[in-house]
Amino acid sequence: MFQGILADLVHNLKKLPGIGNKSAQRLAMYIISIKKEKALQIADSIKTAVENYSNCSICNMLTENDPCDFCSDKSRSNKLLCIVENTQDIYLIEEIQEYKGKYYVLGNLLSPLDGIGPEQINFPRLINFIRSEDIEEIILALNPSAEGESTMNFLGSQLSKYVNKITRLSTGLPFGGDIEYTSSLTLRNAFKRRYSVKD
Amino acid sequence: MEINYLKLINFRNYTQFDINFSSEGALIYGKNGIGKTNLLEAIAYFAFGKSFQTSHDVDLINFSQKFFRISAKFNLFEKELYFECAVDKEQKKIKIDDIKIPRISELYKYIKVVYFSPDDLGFTAGAPVYRRFFFDQAISQYSFDYIELLRKYNRILKQRNALLKKKFGEKEKMVWDKQFVKYGVEIIKRRLNYLKEFIPVLSQHYFYISGEKENLQTKYIYSFPIDNNTNLENNFLTYLKKIEVQEIENQRSLAGPHLDDIKFDIETHPARRFASQGQKRSIAIAARLVQAGMISQKDKEAPILMFDDVLSELDKERTKKILKILKKNHQIFIVTPNHEIYKDLALPGINLEKIV
Ligand SMILES: [Zn+2]
Repeated sequence: MFQGILADLVHNLKKLPGIGNKSAQRLAMYIISIKKEKALQIADSIKTAVENYSNCSICNMLTENDPCDFCSDKSRSNKLLCIVENTQDIYLIEEIQEYKGKYYVLGNLLSPLDGIGPEQINFPRLINFIRSEDIEEIILALNPSAEGESTMNFLGSQLSKYVNKITRLSTGLPFGGDIEYTSSLTLRNAFKRRYSVKD
Repeated sequence: MEINYLKLINFRNYTQFDINFSSEGALIYGKNGIGKTNLLEAIAYFAFGKSFQTSHDVDLINFSQKFFRISAKFNLFEKELYFECAVDKEQKKIKIDDIKIPRISELYKYIKVVYFSPDDLGFTAGAPVYRRFFFDQAISQYSFDYIELLRKYNRILKQRNALLKKKFGEKEKMVWDKQFVKYGVEIIKRRLNYLKEFIPVLSQHYFYISGEKENLQTKYIYSFPIDNNTNLENNFLTYLKKIEVQEIENQRSLAGPHLDDIKFDIETHPARRFASQGQKRSIAIAARLVQAGMISQKDKEAPILMFDDVLSELDKERTKKILKILKKNHQIFIVTPNHEIYKDLALPGINLEKIV
């Protein structure tokens, strides 16, 4: 039943996170069964978004404008730098309206299983960023996963040459607790109760 | 805690089956192949979120079907809760009172089963992995956040092993070593804490079962040398530095709680090598009794006990004593070809041949 063009569509939809075979088939059937203009609208907006978004040349976040709105916003403090794993984390942190500094998107966490070591993290650019700004505190807002913690550990020791105060978010939980799944209240508290990474 | 009602659909040999249980439990009999152990397996599934016989859920699906669904009513925390597990080739869904639980391991917070398995002989005589599995599971039942700790340690272990397979810088290695040591030590400490309560009661039970003749010594065996002048972290980290070349050669971590062991000595003789079958069996059963006792004490709720034909090989004296230690407040399920042994427990009988 799923052959040719349709099989291609299923195959491509499966590349999306959280989409298995069943869901991909359901989505593909849905897409071809709805009004053509509605389906093409979905296709168009995917195309437009993809074509217009790229990484900010300063902070690495995915943005329509380069430099991004955060980097060019003069009202944001350049004494604070918050390092996150991906662009989505920035939106989560913005929602809690607790933080008014700059961001830097790491893109990767240390993960030997995925072949990601220090070389795969865009380190020179991060150092450049830190040197060009007058940063007094770096906040490591990474998930407390095995990979996140190792990365915080690594960044903590590498960046202490440049900035004295390096902090991480308090999760309130001894282990686990992804930023993504934390409620905004918890995240706000985690920001307020951040603590120094120094051992 | 008790299971009041169990319903099986396409589970093993049961295509459609349901049964009510009394709060004392049951003595389950019937000829071989009728599915006695499978019934225990289904009940225990609600405690562990998986089978105690296989790690492949697909094996549990009746051969002619595409899914299985098991549901049960349990009395716990002074109310009745409804549990349902539905498994097909693609997914596994577990609901408590119709609400899907986010993680299978959540079940450890609710249903506690202590399963006296024929394989428990491996607890005394088998490879260290049996003992680690026993204690890791027992501690997870005892304090729930140990599961998360184990998960994290295992993830770090996997990452560290991947690191040892490739070229790495000193700083990168240090970062993973630090995490590895931090969580490794946390696990060891949790195990030692558990053993602090566990060991004295185990010795006491064993002494009693052996007819007050034999002293059992239990000891935690580290996979790295311990210098008592410094802390565990330093001991572990120092050793990792020392074996770095070996670890790179072997491409995996050669020390850590995933390689630790627990050693039993009867008087001064290592049980693993010198104990008789009866002695080995008695140690394992005594250990299960302590596991159950510690849960009861902490939760104020007695776990469900299951005996899968474990006493029939023991002599009468030992069996009698074991049954004496058994507290009456547990719901107990027993599968055995030999009901005589359990007469004193006065459990209601269930003859599967009449109902399957
Ligand atoms: Zn930017």
